[in-house]
Amino acid sequence: MSTDVVMPQLGNEITEAQIDNWSKSPGDKVEKGEMLLTITTPKLTMEIEAPVSGTLREIRVAADEIASVGDVLAVIDEA
Amino acid sequence: MPKSIPVDPQAFQQAGELAFPRVPLHAYARPFAEELQARGVKQMTDILRHMMLVREFETMLGAIKATGNYAGVSYVYKGPAHLSLGQEGAAVGAALALEPADHIFGSHRSHGEFIAKGLSAIARLSGSALSQIMQTHRDGALLRMVEKHLPPTPATGTAENFLLLGLLAEIFMKADGFNGGMGGSMHAFFTPFGAYPNNAIVGASAGIATGAALRKKLAGEASIAVSMSGDGSTGCGPVFEAMNFAAMAQYKTLWTDARKGGLPVLFFFSNNFYAMGGQTIGETMGWDRLSRIGAAVNAQALHAETVDGTNPLAVADAMARKRALLLDGQGPALLDVECYRSGGHSTTDANAYRTKEELALWEAHDPIAKFAAQLIAAGVMDQAAVDAMTANVALSIAAVTRAAVNATAPIDVAADPALIGRLMFSHAEIPAPSGAVRLLAPVETSARIRQDAKKARFGIGADGQKLSAMRAITYRDGLFEAILHHMIHDGRLIAYGEECREWGGAFGVYRGLSDILPYERLFNSPISEAAIVATAVGHALEGGRTLIELMYGDFIGRAGDEIFNQMAKWQAMSAGILKLPVVLRCSVGSKYGAQHSQDWTALVAHIPGLKVLYPATPYDAKGLMASALSSEDPVVFFESQRLYDMVETFRPEGVPSEYYRIPMGEPDVKREGRHATVLTIGPSLYPALSAAQELEESHGLSLEVIDARSLVPFNYDPVIRSIEKTGHLMVVTEASERGSFAMTLASNLTRFAFGHLKSAPRVLGSPNWIVPGAEMETSYFPQAGDIIEIVTSQFHPGKHSNRRGIRNWDDRDLARNGL
Repeated sequence: MSTDVVMPQLGNEITEAQIDNWSKSPGDKVEKGEMLLTITTPKLTMEIEAPVSGTLREIRVAADEIASVGDVLAVIDEA
Repeated sequence: MPKSIPVDPQAFQQAGELAFPRVPLHAYARPFAEELQARGVKQMTDILRHMMLVREFETMLGAIKATGNYAGVSYVYKGPAHLSLGQEGAAVGAALALEPADHIFGSHRSHGEFIAKGLSAIARLSGSALSQIMQTHRDGALLRMVEKHLPPTPATGTAENFLLLGLLAEIFMKADGFNGGMGGSMHAFFTPFGAYPNNAIVGASAGIATGAALRKKLAGEASIAVSMSGDGSTGCGPVFEAMNFAAMAQYKTLWTDARKGGLPVLFFFSNNFYAMGGQTIGETMGWDRLSRIGAAVNAQALHAETVDGTNPLAVADAMARKRALLLDGQGPALLDVECYRSGGHSTTDANAYRTKEELALWEAHDPIAKFAAQLIAAGVMDQAAVDAMTANVALSIAAVTRAAVNATAPIDVAADPALIGRLMFSHAEIPAPSGAVRLLAPVETSARIRQDAKKARFGIGADGQKLSAMRAITYRDGLFEAILHHMIHDGRLIAYGEECREWGGAFGVYRGLSDILPYERLFNSPISEAAIVATAVGHALEGGRTLIELMYGDFIGRAGDEIFNQMAKWQAMSAGILKLPVVLRCSVGSKYGAQHSQDWTALVAHIPGLKVLYPATPYDAKGLMASALSSEDPVVFFESQRLYDMVETFRPEGVPSEYYRIPMGEPDVKREGRHATVLTIGPSLYPALSAAQELEESHGLSLEVIDARSLVPFNYDPVIRSIEKTGHLMVVTEASERGSFAMTLASNLTRFAFGHLKSAPRVLGSPNWIVPGAEMETSYFPQAGDIIEIVTSQFHPGKHSNRRGIRNWDDRDLARNGL
């Protein structure tokens, strides 16, 4: 079973954020709660944690790219 | 970057008790003979003489004020005379331990401290340094007057007469006074002797001295700042804010090693037991001894001590020990210097609040009589020598008084009516900063800077659509770019305010700066708006440049005195000698209701001495911020929270990535038109543009939309030219209409362009009631429909269309009801 890592809603006026960098690469093991990536909105920078434990299968939005709220950023195969 | 100090619940949930340091009371016990041996006869007799000079100077001023005469010299003095008769031991003792480079910041009752500090500096400075100071001060004008009218005697040297005449001429508001006659008794200063401004506002020096100490620390100077105020000032919130600001733990935990350590500031309270007529112990304060308040501030209780202010040696001893602590990075410190004001608060004081018996008890503790008796007992002087010294001091003060009355020049305002006005601003700017300063990491390593580098400089895409704030440079980014340039090229500039560092300010303007700037150049302050502004003033007076923010403009009230009386006044009150490069950022909110959404530009524009800016576009935000940061004059910089994400939509070439400045005071025509002039303040620009677009399309009316950008200064010419063309004027603001700056603009423009107006000018502001919540905001702030309504019903009635908006109230009826 796989779980999507989704761009969160960070405030009702924020529609987009930029991926700053990924702490993990495809194939890496990740633990639930472990930092996966950081994103930046016009106002703040924040970390996004792995929602489940497992293996990072793919990254869909690379660092420095802009994603919209609700976009799937990555997919994790659950352990 | 998160904090490096963990908050561990285990550590905090341990049961226990707090212990407080013991606070010494009158611990000084050195035998007089030891002091005599250590200090020598000259210094010991000078102490007596300095106390006598202070007393005679103030006795003279009291006599002049009360009777118009002193020693045969007649003068009508109209200003204040808050005398410190009886407190001379505190003033002279304090100064005895200070170097010329130590700076005191006095109170409304500080003639004594001023004179004592000056005499102390004169004693320590070399003859050539003194000559240099006197020859360069106002090109030697005061020195020439001293040389002409006050020839030196064996007892009184030229520098001493220079000090006394400069002060007395200033008290008399003469052009030859130290402040050029713009300060007077309660605002005198002479920085070359380390006497920084006295202050007529009780306790105001606490925050300013703290800011001065901040600059001394950042500049690596081995000297201290002393806040001098009375016991009554411990009832002032800003004094507590200052003490806490001075005691922030971060100086010792988070600042880089070279700058680590407490602020070198001493809070010196001349405790004369009365705050005018209120008795501090037993009536108006909770403390039993003033020194107790140190325990409220930090674990060291500010190294507080209560000392005997009637004994200059006890005061000097405590001062010297506190000074050593401060230079060792253990500041701040507090001294409670108990003394007694034997004279009245002012010459109109009838002593109704204290008994004759109490006054008599303190006579035995008169610092001059006591010290003279000690010198006689020690065989240093005899009574005849003391009497001769007293007589010589009186002669000296009489000569200075005669010179101040007869020789110094009054200020001829009639001959030059705008003279005082010209002192409000220097209009000076520093060159574009280009120096290299130490950074934590190269600028390119900041994610924010790399992110911004990829953004479009113009906010409209090739498809004609507006780009998002992630894809084009915004108003926030424009501010950031100007600030970044100054921060990385000018080490004198520091920035602070609430959550300025990791958070980057509540609205992210500084986001990314913490990656490259060390803690001491960008730091979080306590929630102490008064201290934020007061310290900025002190930091700037000492040669620093300060960028501060209040998060919301609505918090201006928390820093009222500091903005209105300190930041605004010191340039003019020093006749332009002092410069105040402070930029105060205030964001104007939205959505959070009545206490977080107010445009208070009119409040600060009303106060003479502040420049006031309010840009509305990214290009203007960047260029005006660069001008503000370059200004030697204080600037209040308003920003709209609704505009932080706004991209540049006016200049097709976009916001330049390189550094540039936009001159302050120049309104900008954002859209040309022929049928009405709409002058906007801040974000009102955007509804005005929407209205212009709609009127063009639906009514064939073209509006000329002018963005004020700057409130103080303001060049009316472009607006007058526009009115000459259109014949109609509307001024739009989001501030409540009554008393708004829009009213000032409309009033002046009516006068300047009356002959060209075809209809009554109209101010469109917000109603005179609270800003409602986000759900009702469009009923409050002027909208495009409201503008269209006025243009089509009042300016061009022939074009009237269906009524728009809900502002169909009767202004005169509302006014009758106070609205």
